[in-house]
Amino acid sequence: MIIDDSRAMRSILRRIVTDLDFETSEAEHGQAALDQMHAGVVPDVCLVDWNMPVMDGYTFITEVRANPAWRDVTLMMVTTESEQRQIVRALAAGAHEYVIKPFTPDAIVDKLSLLGLVPA
Amino acid sequence: MSAVLPTAEVPAADDLLAVTEDVWLALLGDEAVLLPRAVPAGSPFDAAAWSAATTISGGWQGVVTVELDESVARRLTTRMLALPEAEEASDSDIADAVGELVNMVGGNVKSLMPGPSALSLPAVAAGRAAFASDAALACRLDLAWQGDPVRVSVHVPQEGPR
Repeated sequence: MIIDDSRAMRSILRRIVTDLDFETSEAEHGQAALDQMHAGVVPDVCLVDWNMPVMDGYTFITEVRANPAWRDVTLMMVTTESEQRQIVRALAAGAHEYVIKPFTPDAIVDKLSLLGLVPA
Repeated sequence: MSAVLPTAEVPAADDLLAVTEDVWLALLGDEAVLLPRAVPAGSPFDAAAWSAATTISGGWQGVVTVELDESVARRLTTRMLALPEAEEASDSDIADAVGELVNMVGGNVKSLMPGPSALSLPAVAAGRAAFASDAALACRLDLAWQGDPVRVSVHVPQEGPR
C-alpha cells in the first residue's frame, strides 16, 4: 500500500513496485489507509509518507503497531523528514525501514530487498 | 544565484543548488540538467505561472519557495505522473506535482539547518507566491530547465525592530 498525499509521488512509487510485481493499493493519508485496512485490505508492506493531512505517517505507524492483527505488515517510511531524531522516532514506533526523498528507484528496491520482500 | 542577509543563519546557495539538483535528478533522471540563469538581483520572476511554498518552523524558521514557468510545471507533472504524451496534465495534477517538488526541496533544506523543526504541508498557487511583509529573501537560485525558467528561494523572518 502506498500512502502519500501527493498523487505524483504515489504514481512514482507505484511504477517502481509494479515493476517488482507487487499489486498496489493507495491512500492519500494515514486515516484513509487505516480505513482500507479495517475493511480487509491488509498489505504486506506499506510505503508511508510522514507529512500528510488528516493523519500523518508517524501516527499511522503507531496505530498499525497497536493492532496485533497487523503485526506482519512491513512499514517503510518514504519521506523528506531526514532529521536523525525523526528517523529514530519512526523506527522506534515500529517502522522497519526509512527512505529519504528524493530517492532513486534503486533505493526503494534495495530497501525492499533488505526486508526480504524482493529477491536480492 | 544570490545570497542576501549574509549575517543571518541561512542555507548556502551551493547547498540549495545541490538539494535542488538532487530532487530534479530523482524526478527527471537524465533529463534533469539545470543550468544557471543570469538574473539581476531583486528582479521579479519573469514567468511565474506556478509557485509553491513550504514553511519550516522550530529550531530554524524559514519559507522555501519554488516558482516555475507554465511549461516547466506541465512537463514536470507529465513526467512525475507518467502521463501519455497525448494526455495533458490538469491544473489539479500540476498543483499536486509542484507541491511535492517544494516538499522535497523544503524537507532537504530543513535537514541543512538547525533543528528540530517541522515542515508544513505545501501551499501551491497558480501565480506568484505571496510572503508576509516581515519575510526577507535569504537565498535565491535562478535556473533554467530545457530553456525555461525555474526559481528556488528561501525566505527568513526579518530581524530587528518591527
